[in-house]
Amino acid sequence: MSLRFLRPGLQTSIQDGGRPGMMRWGLCRGGAADTLAMAMANRLLGNPSDHPCIEVTLTGPAIEFTATLSIAVCGAYFDLRLNDKPVANNTVIQVRSGDVLEFGALKSGARGYLALAAEIDLPRSQGSLATHLLAGFGGLEGRALRAGDTLPLRACRRVQVRALPQRYCLDYRARPLIRVVSGADAELFPAEVLNAFYRGEFSVSSQSNRMGIRLSGALLATEGLPQVVSSALCPGTIQVPPGGQPIVSFIEGQTIGGYPRIAHVISADQHRLGQLQANDRLNFERIDTATAHRILQHKLRLLAELEDALQHPHPSPGDTN
Amino acid sequence: MKADFTLKPNGDAALDICFSAPPSAALSETIMLLAQAIEAASIPAVSELVPAYQCLTVCFDPLQLAPVGSHGTAHLRRQLAQLTERALSSSRTLPGERFLIRIPVCYEKDFAPDMSALRQHTGLATEEIIQRHTNRHYLVHMLGFTPGFLYLGGLDERLHCPRKSRPELRVPAGSVGIGGAQTGIYPQATPGGWQIIGRTPLALFRPEKTFAFVARPLDYIQFVPISADVFARYVPGAEIERTLIGEVP
Repeated sequence: MSLRFLRPGLQTSIQDGGRPGMMRWGLCRGGAADTLAMAMANRLLGNPSDHPCIEVTLTGPAIEFTATLSIAVCGAYFDLRLNDKPVANNTVIQVRSGDVLEFGALKSGARGYLALAAEIDLPRSQGSLATHLLAGFGGLEGRALRAGDTLPLRACRRVQVRALPQRYCLDYRARPLIRVVSGADAELFPAEVLNAFYRGEFSVSSQSNRMGIRLSGALLATEGLPQVVSSALCPGTIQVPPGGQPIVSFIEGQTIGGYPRIAHVISADQHRLGQLQANDRLNFERIDTATAHRILQHKLRLLAELEDALQHPHPSPGDTN
Repeated sequence: MKADFTLKPNGDAALDICFSAPPSAALSETIMLLAQAIEAASIPAVSELVPAYQCLTVCFDPLQLAPVGSHGTAHLRRQLAQLTERALSSSRTLPGERFLIRIPVCYEKDFAPDMSALRQHTGLATEEIIQRHTNRHYLVHMLGFTPGFLYLGGLDERLHCPRKSRPELRVPAGSVGIGGAQTGIYPQATPGGWQIIGRTPLALFRPEKTFAFVARPLDYIQFVPISADVFARYVPGAEIERTLIGEVP
């Protein structure tokens, strides 16, 4: 019972909820870049939200199954084909031994999550199966998957076919609303730089990755900014290095930083960063911390409601059993 | 130790406990003492503690605050402020073992692409650079940046040297460098702007071990010069040479 990669895709890796609690050793949480899409794919199959899955980036893989199980793909929209027949995102897909799933053209978003009603039978490293691409450990040999790689599976199961209710299917075509709270070093920036940041429009540089998202567009003046003493750099933090191009620290980012922090993407919106493509445009809206916590609570409540919706589905024309 | 502190938000899910005192061994000890006290308090919302030179960052899960929202945040701030005041007025020293860890470094030509830059900047001969780099016990203030990177204090002032104006795209894992007033080892092959004067064959991050790191905050590090031959024969998983130290040297 296994998954075999016929084509690897651009950067396909095993991810899960990562390794929380190890920042003090220089190890960021890591794991899935879009934890919400991963959670939805897993919940469709009755898995825990952070069950190990396959993260697919921009160009997807072709995968042959040598097992009978259920799978689901959430997150970025690819033209998905199972044995050359189109299959849908956000739906339970039944596969049998010998079936081939192909990720075709990317229609929106950046990262898809292939969840499996099975366990990936590999040893955990530092408590997780997440692949840490920079440090080269976790997942399969600490690297992105290659053509010919085989992932052993166990405990394969089938679940009932069901689809994510329409209102939970995220749309990544619209310009993302990224909300931030004021930066830990905001008082170091002159008012005109802060204004330029909040009024400016940024685009995602092609040099972005799981470590950081580099923004181009409005350059921020950095002359005369005092040096800051290095301290903890949390995911979502937007630093302004000399040169004035802000960088958003991301899921595999460094844990200590020393550039002034102008703002922080709120916890509830960090999953959306995982769906940004190069050249996507975005701007930042400042809110207060209490509002940020309410939004997080609301998003988590939606995920809990999804559980109910999946337990008591309204039959839809697309459902087949 | 007496020190002023302030509590500042670091995003919507972390608070920084910042100290006004300059970085020192005593302040790092206070920060680690505080980290232990916060851990012992078992506050359900607290998810990560990240020590740094002048600051302890407390990451929390906003949904575990009691209650969720501004009252819960204010309550957490009060708890942390109390714990910090108590840690600052405490005369306790940090329990637990501390080690002097010897890290082998080859300073020979193939491993030291920037030795000439360092000679030029410092006016010192290679031998003296190596001597000054290896005769110190460096304090580990914290780990961070990438897995296993050590922030070390105590570099000889004569060896301070500015970073490169253009960072290298790829510095090999194990490279030992000097950047400004800091010295350290790159645990992974990463881009880097430090002047590279040697390389260690020792892996600073060993994920296959239960404890994957070579040192903890408040340990001391000493670099030990080795030849290219010894470097070549070094077994990556070899035991690390460490000595228990009672007192700060």
